[in-house]
Amino acid sequence: MFLVHLWNYIRGYVIIIVDGRSIERFINICSKRQILLWDIVRLDAASAEMKASIRGFRLMRPAAKKSGCRVHIKKKCGLPFFLYRFKRRKGFKVGLVIFSAILMLSVSIIWDIEITGCEPEKIPEIMSVLNADNIGRGSFKLKLDPKIIAKKIALNVEQVAWVGVEIKGVKLFITIKDSIEPPVLIKNDEAFNIVAERDGLVKKVEVYAGTPRIKEGETVKKGQLLVSGKLESKNPEFGTRDVHALGKIIARTWYEESMPVSMVYTQKLKTGRTHKTVYFRFLDRRFKISGGDLPFEMYETVTEEKMISGPFGLRLPIGLIVENSSEIVEKQVELTLDEAIDVTIETAREKLRKRIPADSTVVDEMIKQYEGDNGTIYIQVVYECEEDIAGLEPATEK
Amino acid sequence: MKRGIYRIKGAGNKGKEPGESLGERLARLFEIPGEVCGNRPKVTAIGRGEVLIENFKGIMDFQSNMIRINTNNGIIKVTGEGLNIREITNEEIIIGGKISNIDYDA
Repeated sequence: MFLVHLWNYIRGYVIIIVDGRSIERFINICSKRQILLWDIVRLDAASAEMKASIRGFRLMRPAAKKSGCRVHIKKKCGLPFFLYRFKRRKGFKVGLVIFSAILMLSVSIIWDIEITGCEPEKIPEIMSVLNADNIGRGSFKLKLDPKIIAKKIALNVEQVAWVGVEIKGVKLFITIKDSIEPPVLIKNDEAFNIVAERDGLVKKVEVYAGTPRIKEGETVKKGQLLVSGKLESKNPEFGTRDVHALGKIIARTWYEESMPVSMVYTQKLKTGRTHKTVYFRFLDRRFKISGGDLPFEMYETVTEEKMISGPFGLRLPIGLIVENSSEIVEKQVELTLDEAIDVTIETAREKLRKRIPADSTVVDEMIKQYEGDNGTIYIQVVYECEEDIAGLEPATEK
Repeated sequence: MKRGIYRIKGAGNKGKEPGESLGERLARLFEIPGEVCGNRPKVTAIGRGEVLIENFKGIMDFQSNMIRINTNNGIIKVTGEGLNIREITNEEIIIGGKISNIDYDA
């Protein structure tokens, strides 16, 4: 019965009151003409209330005429009448269209990209592959082919064994399986020597294959032969054999940096003037809302992102980006000698740190101060390091 | 369909006492329910509050305490309190309300 009511509501119906002497005749004519009537209640001797469909009501006129009854509507019920109210409201219709358009649009784009399974260092690489194809937040799902994306990533990113690309809802899932780099093959039948990669004092010699030509405590020059690939037998009659020299030569090395001490130091000072620029961020695009062009020549910028967080810990890629820029002025500051030396030492150290190879450890630091020809003071910083200076070189026949 | 059959049969039976028509006899022969083949009314009373009458010809009287319905087998009179017609179509009528009597007028 509920279904019938629902159907009637969707189709729409009218509650009518029929006045007249021969209501029975009216009902009979209606039923003969396939006009469905229901819930007929007699009100009094000359009137009855009943329900009829909209179509039925339209066809009722001849029946009413024939039976001499007067029909008038008491109430209009159902969805068609409900919707009719909105027919005149243009804004409502426009809103409906805009709403459905936004809904369709937002459902058909990628909102987020999730990369799993690989080392974090690889993510920028993967993202650059995606960016090259203009795939990112906001690209249309229909244009994306997971198989092609997977192929592209597998081809362009190194050390990837398998790539799975999946579009689930509005999210793009990329699963990476790293492959392990094959170890470097050491060909034992080819002769290789170990030579020094840089100058140093040998502290420790560990030879796995080959004949060591140096001892601990010796100083070596860059390019000097450390371990020979010719393995000599204890018995001279057997001669020598070519091997691939392997070993670790731990040596002390020195790195030095000299700099003139400058008494003048350029200091960056904030003037206290700030400028605020607000962007609206939608996916990866940003639109400026307030704040014009920056009026400063030199400035420092602190960026703050305020994103809308949705339910269930979801972070929506919609929000505001606030850029606070503060003006900076360069100022020349006169320093005392001690201050100037400290500053010079710091800069020299920084320069050195960039030069020192990653696998070496700093053991000691020496700072020297000397005067140059024209009176300027120089600072020399020397770092003493310990590192493996073994470098491979194919042995040439001598 | 039914109506067409009825008219052909009805023309022959006109004026006679209501008896078994050819259709009804055929129906009995083939053991088909009477309301399918003939135009005899089928009255179904569900509980006390609902009466369904199929194969009716038309309503003759409609009051809140009495409804008279014309059928091929005469007039069926339903009496009760607060009677209403739940639904009426070409072939069936559902009467609701507190029913006390279903009478067949001679």
